[in-house]
Amino acid sequence: QEVTLKLHQFLPAQANVPKLILDVWADGVEEASGGRIKVERYPSMQLGGTPPELIDQAIDGVADVVWTVVGYTPGRFPTTEVFELPFMVDDARAASCAYWKMFEEHMAEGEFRDVKILGTWVHGPGMFHTADPVETPGDLEGMKIRGGSRLVNKLLELTGATPVGMPVPAIPESLSKGVIDGTTIPWEVTAALKVPELVENHTEFTGTALYTLTFVLAMNKAKYDSLPDDLKAVVDSKSGLEFSIFAGGTQADADGPARQLALDAGNNIITVSEADAAQWLEVVQPIYADWVAEMNGRGTDGQALIDQARGLMGGECKGADARM
Amino acid sequence: MTDIQIGVLSFPALLLMIFLRVPIGLAMFLAGLAGLLIVTGDTTVPFARLKSETYTTFSNYSLSIVPMFLLMGHFATLGGMSQALFKAAEGWLGHRKGGVAMAAVGACAGFGAICGSSLATAATMSRVALPELRAYGYAGGFSTATLAAGGTLGILIPPSVVLVIYAILTEQNIAKLFLAAFIPGILAAIGYMIAIGIYVRLNPGSAGIRPRVSYGDRLRALLAVWPVLLVFGLVVGGIYGGWFTPTEGAAVGALGTGVIAWFAGGLTWATLGESFMVTARSSAMIFFIVLGAAFYNGFLALTQVPQEIAAWVVDQGLSPWLVLIFILAFYLVLGCLMDSLSMILLTIPIFWPVMLELDFGLVTMVELQTARLDALVASGAELSQAALDEARTALAAGVELTREQIRELGLRQVNQGALNRVNTEQVAIWFGILVLIVVEVGLITPPVGMNLFVINAMDRETPMVETYKAVLYFVASDLVRVALLVAFPVITLMFIPW
Amino acid sequence: MHGFFVGLSRLMAYLGGAVLATLVVLTCLSIAGRSLNGLLHSDLAESVAPALAAALLDLGIGPVNGDFELVEAGMAFAIFAFLPLCQISGAHASVDIFTARLGRRANRVLLWISEMLFAGVLVLIAVQLGAGMMGKLRTGQTTFLLEFPVWWAYALSLSGAVSAAAVAVYMAAMRSVEMATGRDLLPHVQGAGH
Ligand code: NA
Ligand code: NA
Repeated sequence: QEVTLKLHQFLPAQANVPKLILDVWADGVEEASGGRIKVERYPSMQLGGTPPELIDQAIDGVADVVWTVVGYTPGRFPTTEVFELPFMVDDARAASCAYWKMFEEHMAEGEFRDVKILGTWVHGPGMFHTADPVETPGDLEGMKIRGGSRLVNKLLELTGATPVGMPVPAIPESLSKGVIDGTTIPWEVTAALKVPELVENHTEFTGTALYTLTFVLAMNKAKYDSLPDDLKAVVDSKSGLEFSIFAGGTQADADGPARQLALDAGNNIITVSEADAAQWLEVVQPIYADWVAEMNGRGTDGQALIDQARGLMGGECKGADARM
Repeated sequence: MTDIQIGVLSFPALLLMIFLRVPIGLAMFLAGLAGLLIVTGDTTVPFARLKSETYTTFSNYSLSIVPMFLLMGHFATLGGMSQALFKAAEGWLGHRKGGVAMAAVGACAGFGAICGSSLATAATMSRVALPELRAYGYAGGFSTATLAAGGTLGILIPPSVVLVIYAILTEQNIAKLFLAAFIPGILAAIGYMIAIGIYVRLNPGSAGIRPRVSYGDRLRALLAVWPVLLVFGLVVGGIYGGWFTPTEGAAVGALGTGVIAWFAGGLTWATLGESFMVTARSSAMIFFIVLGAAFYNGFLALTQVPQEIAAWVVDQGLSPWLVLIFILAFYLVLGCLMDSLSMILLTIPIFWPVMLELDFGLVTMVELQTARLDALVASGAELSQAALDEARTALAAGVELTREQIRELGLRQVNQGALNRVNTEQVAIWFGILVLIVVEVGLITPPVGMNLFVINAMDRETPMVETYKAVLYFVASDLVRVALLVAFPVITLMFIPW
Repeated sequence: MHGFFVGLSRLMAYLGGAVLATLVVLTCLSIAGRSLNGLLHSDLAESVAPALAAALLDLGIGPVNGDFELVEAGMAFAIFAFLPLCQISGAHASVDIFTARLGRRANRVLLWISEMLFAGVLVLIAVQLGAGMMGKLRTGQTTFLLEFPVWWAYALSLSGAVSAAAVAVYMAAMRSVEMATGRDLLPHVQGAGH
């Protein structure tokens, strides 16, 4: 082959995202290039460093392509947080579609100008997995909960819970030791972490999700620019809007089997109705206000971003779907 | 040259540097740097990695346990805990044949429970016990060998710095590894006492007799070790009881020993400063080796060498047990030349993928289901007696429970994936303890045994050769223990929850 | 000259030690706060002294916010600050079984090579850490909970890294003079173990 791309990410090779999304992308690129591109896959941070460094590894060329959680580097990509606001997203496909469109409009030449973004997506509904049942915001008071992002931590603080920061792989040990009383993650991640064996209660929401995290698949800019035009076209054909929708949808679809595992284990799944979610919405209002103020402080109209994201998710991106 | 060839060639290059006295951490760093330069063709990758890798290595939350444990061990010495331990052990054991040496081993074991480093244990206990041993007519080489071997208990008995590093490298639970090290550590102390008993019988005149002490004095001496018990109970109990993480436990231990040392009058501004100096030197040395290893291992991963070696070993179709014995023997040989931490950092990234591919069948589905059922019963769940009896009968006969039985009992699902996870963790813990022991044997095997050097240097009259001769009894005891633990994994794993 | 570098190394080690001790205390306070917080939220506290429990909770009794982050940032500084002392006292672990038989002259050459390599590596580390700090400064990355800029932590660590590089360059220079003149200027210490 002519070109080798080193794809680096933090999960084991057999986890859902590498297996169902990244491998599909990589195989697709290899095939469409007629064998001229080879994608070498390095799972579990094998190229060194810690997950928050992945984005810099793509920018600096330590890896050619990385998959990363945007929220691992708080403060650097503030616009993406519009999709991380609590009770914002109800469908991962529509949100991933809107995320790509807003990426092209606001972020490609802004926050992400140092890197070539190949895909932007969100995971399925984020939710609580706790030792004691959580139905109302008041139930969280005094609990130590691992939060997945800056905004989730704010939400936890507002409910009187104590947010604890730790990387995803540290969750099982901390749960089993009682260092934390619960964690926020989507269903899809719970199976690999044995969460249903460690806590008995799971709180999900009908309608909009408690929260979602944003992801990017990012490529080193110089590496992309060094490709001959036909290979650039190959990479482009496997990336972008369609791929983003596919990735978000695939990840959300992986929630089902993981949820079934918790049911099989005899766990208690609490589903908060849209009516009962009202008291949750009230609690998180300050987060919206703060976020808008923060964005305005950065010279960006925060409310306009929220409105645009909602408009896209309810409008042209509604019902979006794609297969690779 | 392919990447794999470069990766393989880096190994002799690295060993050459190490044997030419290039500091080990530096040698690994240079091998990684040169390797990355050759494989990637320019400075982009290695230099970009250096922008953050030094910081993230040194700021690793789990690793911050290391300086805290080092500080804790130093404070324990300042608080007179080593003295108290030896006096108590001497009171109960000292009058026996070889009793003072046995007391030294016992005191080392006690000190090991609050100190994470082998060398610190050996050096600290030597200051207390060596004069006493010589005063009661114990032969020079026998005395130094006893303390050198006793020092290894500092790292076999939790807490243990080497185990922390192993846990991070293999992504295993530190608390479970500490728990698993406990019984092998006690066995080590017993084994060393037996070795002492054999030595004094085969070498008449090598040890004098110490007069008996009254039971009142013995009890008084025993009561004086309460600070050790308190700190150990607080740290280890807190970690297992779920009160805090291992790193937090280390902080509690450091503060606890510090306060005790202060009350005992051992902690002043001057000695606190000295504690900082000692901790600074050891921590910087350890972290620089960790950094060099991270850099070198990052390069090795890029060349795919560890995966290739693992695949090759699996292709050979050797018995897993044979592979394990080869690996342990390799450590014993390398341990004659290198120190324990460097060996672990250098080799675990290569050997661990190999171990992951081997099936020792440590846990079967029936055993796992039995354990889950026991846990369910212990939790006080209300079960149908008939279903329970039926399940117990099936499991006792070695028959797996059916899906219907599991559902009826409300038992947690046990699938093949869960079984594999349990087996992987069991192998990781068992292998970790075995490796810990064989690399610690390296600290007392001639010619390069760090403990031997340090203790021998504290006793000017004893030639190194005398120490070498006497230490072989302890090495033999270590080998017997390793064989036992290989043959019976249950000794290591019996208290580890699944 | 030697006095200056020894003094610098010891000063950095004291600072690192002070930070380490502070982290120890901070972690213990956090555990105490967490336990108390749990106790005040317990059924017992809410039935026996609900007003007191609520008042104490309002005072903010709980774990130290962001204790993980503070430990990480502080520990990085401490280790970087410990490096100069390790460097100047020759405390890095090395294997001397094979070189013990070589002559004095050969050992001096080997030591000189090691010190030169070490100086180069520590300078490289300091320079790249500085570049890393500039990157964090430019992108405005913050920590999760306390949301303090990550470059602050890098800047603290950089002070240790620069000191270590300076000490290493000094050591390499002195060994070079020793090589040239054949005289011992610095102690020839053995590598330490653990
Ligand atoms: Na220990
Ligand atoms: Na040895």
